[in-house]
Amino acid sequence: MASTVIGAGITIEGEVTSDEDVVVQGTVRGKLVAKDAVSIEHGGAVEADISGGPVAVAGTVTGNINSTDRVDLQNGAKVIGNVKATRITIADGAQFKGNVDMDV
Amino acid sequence: MATSTVIGRASFIRGRVSGDGDLEIAGRVEGDIAVGGEVVIDTSGLIAANISASRIVVRGAVKGDLVAGEALVIEAGARVVGDLRAPRIAIAPGGLVRGHVQTGTAGAARPRAAAAPARAVVPEVKARPVVAPPPPRAALPAVKAAPPPPPPPVKTVAAPAPKVAPKPAVVAARPGPPAPVVPVLKKGTKAVQKKRG
Repeated sequence: MASTVIGAGITIEGEVTSDEDVVVQGTVRGKLVAKDAVSIEHGGAVEADISGGPVAVAGTVTGNINSTDRVDLQNGAKVIGNVKATRITIADGAQFKGNVDMDV
Repeated sequence: MATSTVIGRASFIRGRVSGDGDLEIAGRVEGDIAVGGEVVIDTSGLIAANISASRIVVRGAVKGDLVAGEALVIEAGARVVGDLRAPRIAIAPGGLVRGHVQTGTAGAARPRAAAAPARAVVPEVKARPVVAPPPPRAALPAVKAAPPPPPPPVKTVAAPAPKVAPKPAVVAARPGPPAPVVPVLKKGTKAVQKKRG
């Protein structure tokens, strides 16, 4: 089980910092920094820059995503912002507007 | 709402947490917490925020005002610095509270003010004697107890003093003993020399 969960119906305005996994089912505005995996689940909304390990998005993200590992934009994801990661997958059905920066 | 929010022990939130649903906090939160459901501060939780919820359970440390729509529970081991306000407030033995305590809802409390503060003062007073005074009292006896021991130490000091004294005596004697020793030797040697002579 993920250590930190922002449940549906909860809104955090500010900065979220975590040394463990973060799952967002609700809303985060501000900044999201995690050392481990970040998962924006369906219905989750993040209006913030995200930095962390592997990032999986099935919800909405408005902001830049900076990952030390991989970024997966899953079906139903809506991302507006730049993505920087070593590996990126964009699933069929994901909406994405922004730049991709991969270490080549 | 079925979904609940968990702030893990390695997580830190600075800002405002709001919305509907339950909240379990094992990490750190600075800012403001206003939710519709239940808020549980775990033993590892460290909160510097005003909390408003329907139900609040504290097992960790909170610095801020707590306002609950239904009930407020301060459990053993909890530390709260701030005002408490809820229709029902429970402070368990071992729970630390420093602040104003008021039972009753914000609006209804005013008319009942005479009754509510009276109730409120009792748990507060109970909480303080239980937790706060013992340390100072215990500390004072300790301080008072400290002076008596010195006499024995003095004895012990006196005891070691001789031990210590011999050493200085030896040190001081180094110049002294040679003097007596020499005359003794001189006397002896002289006598022997005279006898021999």
